[in-house]
Amino acid sequence: MSAGTVRDPGFPTERENYLTNSKGILSWMFTLDHKRIGVMYLIGVSISFALGGLLALAIRLHLMDPDGWMFRGADANNIYNQVFTLHGAIMVFLFIIPSIPGALGNFLVPVMLGAKDVAFPRLNLSSFYLWVFGAVFFVMALLSSGLDTGWTFYTPYSTTTDTSVIMATMGAFILGFSSIFTGLNFIVTINTMRPPGMTWFRMPLFLWATYATSIIQVLATPVLGITLLLLIAERTMQIGIFNPEFNGDPVTYQHFFWFYSHPAVYIMILPAFGIISEIISVHSHKHIFGYRFIAYSSIAIALLGFLVWGHHMFTAGMSSLTTIVFSALTFTVSIPSAIKVFNWLATMYKGSISLTSPMCYGISFIFLFTIGGLTGLHLGTLATDQHLHDTYFVVAHFHYVMVGGTLVAFLGGVFHWWPKLFGKMFNETGGRISAVLVFLGFNLTFLPQFVLGSRGMPRRYATYDPEFAFLHQMSTYGALLLGFGILVAFITLMHSLFRGKRAPANPWGGATLEWNCTSPPPFYNFERAPVVGDPYDFHDIEWQESDERYVTVQPERKLAPEADPSKSPAHASHKH
Amino acid sequence: MAMLPAAFSLLSDYTEDYAWFPDSASTFAADSDWLYYAITAVCIFFFIPISICLFYFAAKYRKAKGEKAESQVSHNTPIELLWSIGPSIFMVGMFVMGARAYLDMRTIPEGANEIGVQSSKWSWSMDYGRGTYHPELHLLVNEPVKLTMQSSDVIHSLYIPAFRAKKDVVPGRYNYMWFHPTKVTEKVSDEELANATKITEESATAWDYDKWQFTPDGYRFYDLYCAEYCGQDHSQMQTVVVVHETREDLDAWIKKYSSRGSDTLEAYGEKLYARRGCIGCHTTNGTSGTGPTYKDAFGTTRQLANGEKVTMDENYVRESILVPKAKVVAGFQPVMPSYKGQLSDDDLDSLVAYIKSLSANAETTSEADAEATPEENAE
Ligand code: HEM
Ligand SMILES: [Cu+2]
Repeated sequence: MSAGTVRDPGFPTERENYLTNSKGILSWMFTLDHKRIGVMYLIGVSISFALGGLLALAIRLHLMDPDGWMFRGADANNIYNQVFTLHGAIMVFLFIIPSIPGALGNFLVPVMLGAKDVAFPRLNLSSFYLWVFGAVFFVMALLSSGLDTGWTFYTPYSTTTDTSVIMATMGAFILGFSSIFTGLNFIVTINTMRPPGMTWFRMPLFLWATYATSIIQVLATPVLGITLLLLIAERTMQIGIFNPEFNGDPVTYQHFFWFYSHPAVYIMILPAFGIISEIISVHSHKHIFGYRFIAYSSIAIALLGFLVWGHHMFTAGMSSLTTIVFSALTFTVSIPSAIKVFNWLATMYKGSISLTSPMCYGISFIFLFTIGGLTGLHLGTLATDQHLHDTYFVVAHFHYVMVGGTLVAFLGGVFHWWPKLFGKMFNETGGRISAVLVFLGFNLTFLPQFVLGSRGMPRRYATYDPEFAFLHQMSTYGALLLGFGILVAFITLMHSLFRGKRAPANPWGGATLEWNCTSPPPFYNFERAPVVGDPYDFHDIEWQESDERYVTVQPERKLAPEADPSKSPAHASHKH
Repeated sequence: MAMLPAAFSLLSDYTEDYAWFPDSASTFAADSDWLYYAITAVCIFFFIPISICLFYFAAKYRKAKGEKAESQVSHNTPIELLWSIGPSIFMVGMFVMGARAYLDMRTIPEGANEIGVQSSKWSWSMDYGRGTYHPELHLLVNEPVKLTMQSSDVIHSLYIPAFRAKKDVVPGRYNYMWFHPTKVTEKVSDEELANATKITEESATAWDYDKWQFTPDGYRFYDLYCAEYCGQDHSQMQTVVVVHETREDLDAWIKKYSSRGSDTLEAYGEKLYARRGCIGCHTTNGTSGTGPTYKDAFGTTRQLANGEKVTMDENYVRESILVPKAKVVAGFQPVMPSYKGQLSDDDLDSLVAYIKSLSANAETTSEADAEATPEENAE
C-alpha cells in the first residue's frame, strides 16, 4: 500500500511467548517474570473484587427496606456492620490499591519502558506473596469473629470492640509492605532501566502516573504501618496514645490514619489517569494533548496529596485555623485533576476515534470522574461540608471517584491490553454492552445517593427513616444492573480466551513500545531492541486492510546529499 | 426518570418523598444551602460543556479504521494556562465563602442558652440543668443555644440535618457547637395525641416516633442523628429536636421531666430506664444485650469478671449505676458509662424499684427484706 519498510513482529510462535515458554504450576509459582506476576495479580485482585462486590450487593439488598431486608434477627445490625466493613476494607486494601499497579503495572511497566524486566524480580515475586499473605489474614478476620470497625479502624471504637481487629490490621500491615515493594521496584526500574533514547519526556503517561503513584506508596505507606502497630499496641497493652481512658487522644489517630489514607486515594486514582491517557490517545489516533501538563500534574497531585488529609476531619473539632488551611489546600489539589479532563477532551478533538470497548470505558470514565471530582467541591467547602460530612453524599462522591473512576479505568485498561496479555481478541459487542451497562447501572446506584446525603441520610446505617426508602431502593436496582454489567465484561473476556481470534501485535494502532512486541510478548519482551520514539506519534502507523491489523511503516527517507546521517542520534524520531 | 421529581422539587417539604434538602430551620441553613446551590451551579457550568464535548466529539470524529486524524496538535500553551487558571478563580471564591460561613458556625455568641450533651452507645442525654435529663433536645426559637458535648465511650457525632449542623463528640474532651433555631415545630391536636397515647399503651410498646411523627408530648420534630459510626446500634442512635415558641412552653416541658411527680417509684423507674438509655444495653426479657438483662436478676448471685461473687442487692445496683466499672459481671465488657452526678437519689431509688419489680423471686425476698429489716432492727 505505501512505500517504505513495514515493521510488524507478526504472531508469536508457541515457544517464544511468556505464557507457554515453560509449563506447570510451579513454573508460575516461582516465576520471576514480571508478566506472569502481573497475571497472577490480575487473578488475585479479580477474586477480591468479586468478594467485595458480593458484599456490596448484600449491603444494598439489606437497605431495600428501612428496617433492613437482608439480615434479620437480633444480630442484624452486627452483621450489617461487619458486611460494610469488609466490603470497604476488601475493596480498598485488596482491590483498588493493588489492582492497577499490581496487575497492569507489573505487566506493562517494563514492556512500555523497553526493558526486559523490573529492577528486582525477586522483590517483585515477594510483593505478590505478601499480598496473598495479607489477603489470607483478611479472610481469617472475616471467618473468625468478624470485623466491625469500618475500614478506617477509628479509635477508640477499634481498641474496644471485641472483634478481630488485630488480625485485620496485621493483614493491612502486611499488604502495606507489598505495596511499598511494588512502588520501590517501579521507581528503581524507571530510573535505571530505560533503554537508550527513552528520555523522561518520551515515557508514556502511564509510566509517569505509575512513577507518581510509586512515590506515594513508598512515602505514605510506612505511616499507615506505624499507625496500625500503634493501634495494636494500644489494644493489647493500653499504652494510651489514642484512648482517652489512658490519656490518649482519638483525633491523633485520625491525623495519622488520614496522613496515609488520603495520599492512598491518589494511589487509587493516579494510575487510572495513566490508563485513560493511553486509551484516549490510542483510540483517537491522535497525539495526546498537553503531554507535559499531564505528566507534571501527576507529580503535583502526588505531592499536594500529602497536604490535604485534614479534610476528612472538618467536624472533628480541630482549631478553626487548621480547618481553614486544610480547606484551602484541598482546593489546590483539584486543579491538576481538572487540567487532565480538559486535556483528554482536547485529545479527542479532531481525532480519528474508534468506539472500541476500551474507548467506551474511557469515555465513561471521563463522565463519571468529572462528577466525582466536581462533587468534591461541595465537600471541600467548609460550610457545606458541615452538613454533608458522613452522609451518603460522601459515599456517592467517593464511589464516583473510586468505582466510576478507578474501577472503570481498570476495566478499560484490561480490555485495552487484553490482546497483549493473552494474545486473544475479545468480542467487541460484548465489551461495549458491558461498558454501557456498567455506566447505566453505576449512575442509577450512586446518583440517588447524592440526594440521600443532601437530605441528611447518615452513612453506615443498618436501618433508616422511612422517608429515604425510595431513593435507597433505586440505588439497589442500580447495583444489580451494575453487577450484571460486570458479569457481562467477565464473560466476554473469558469467552475470548477460548474462542477469541489471535491478536496481532498492534490491534489498536498504538505507538507505545508494548505494541512493538508480539501478543502475547516473548519471554524477554522484545526480539530486537525496540526503537524508541515519541509514544504518541501516530504518523507512521497504518491500517492494513488485508491483514486486519496496524503496522508501523517507516517511510523510505530520501536524504539530501549534503545531510550527514552520522550527525543525528541513533534513536532520533521524526518530529513533525 | 424517577430522579426527575427529586431534581425539580428543590424547595418542597422535608416530609415529602422528593425534597432535596430537609427543612431549613436554623440560621446556618440559608448560608449552607445558598453555597450548595452556588457550587452546584458552577459544577453544572463546567459539567454541561464537558459532557457535550465528550459525546459530541465521540460522534463527530468517529472515523473508519485507518483514517488519519484531522489534526495532530499536541499542545497550545495559552489555552492550557487559561483552563488551569480560569477554574482556580471559582475555587478561590468557594473557599472564601465556605470559610466565612464556617467561622460563623464556630463563633459561639455570648449569652447563648447552654445545654449539656452526653452521648454514649447508643443514646443521647441532654442536660437541662437542675438535674433534669432527657434524650430529646428541646430548644427555644430565635435564641442561640450552645451545646457542650461529651462522650462516655467512643466517638459519636451530633447531626441535625434541618439545622445543617454537625459536630463530633469525642471522648476525653469537650466539643462545642451552637445554632440558632428559626422555625417552631408545631404541636398536634389533643385528640391526635390522646389517640396515639392510647394505642401505644394498649400495645405496651415504646413510643414509635417514626410512626406518629410527633413526640409523646405531642410536638412535631426534626431528626437528630449520630453521624459517626459507633458500633452495633449506630443507626438507632437517633433522637428528636423540638423547637418551642415561648419560654413558658419550654419551661413547662422541662419542669414536667424534672421530677417524679405523682408516679410510683416503679413506674418512674421504668420511664428513666427508657429515657436515660439503660434500654440500649439492658433488656427486660431475659436475653442479654451489651449488658446483662434485668429480668429475674435482682436477688441473684453474680459471678464477677475478677472471680469474686456478689449478691445483686440495692447497694450493688446503686454502685453499678454510679461506678459501673467497679464490679463487672463475667462475660461482659466494662463499657457502661457512669451516671454519677446525673441522677438524684429519688431517681436512683426509682431505678432500683423498677429493676426489683422485674424479678419474680426478688419481689418476695425484697418485700420480706423491707419488712424484715425494721423488725430485725427492733429486736
Ligand atoms: C471498586 C469498587 C468499590 C470500592 C472501591 C468501594 C469502596 C467502598 C468503601 C471504601 C466504602 C466505605 C466503607 C466504610 O464506610 O467502612 C464503601 C461503602 C459502601 N459501598 Fe462500596 N465500593 C465499591 C463498590 C461498590 C458497589 C459496586 C456498591 C453497590 C453496588 C457499593 C456500595 C456501597 C455501600 C452501600 C456502602 C456503605 C456506605 C456506608 O454506609 O459506609 N460499593 N465502599
Ligand atoms: Cu453514635
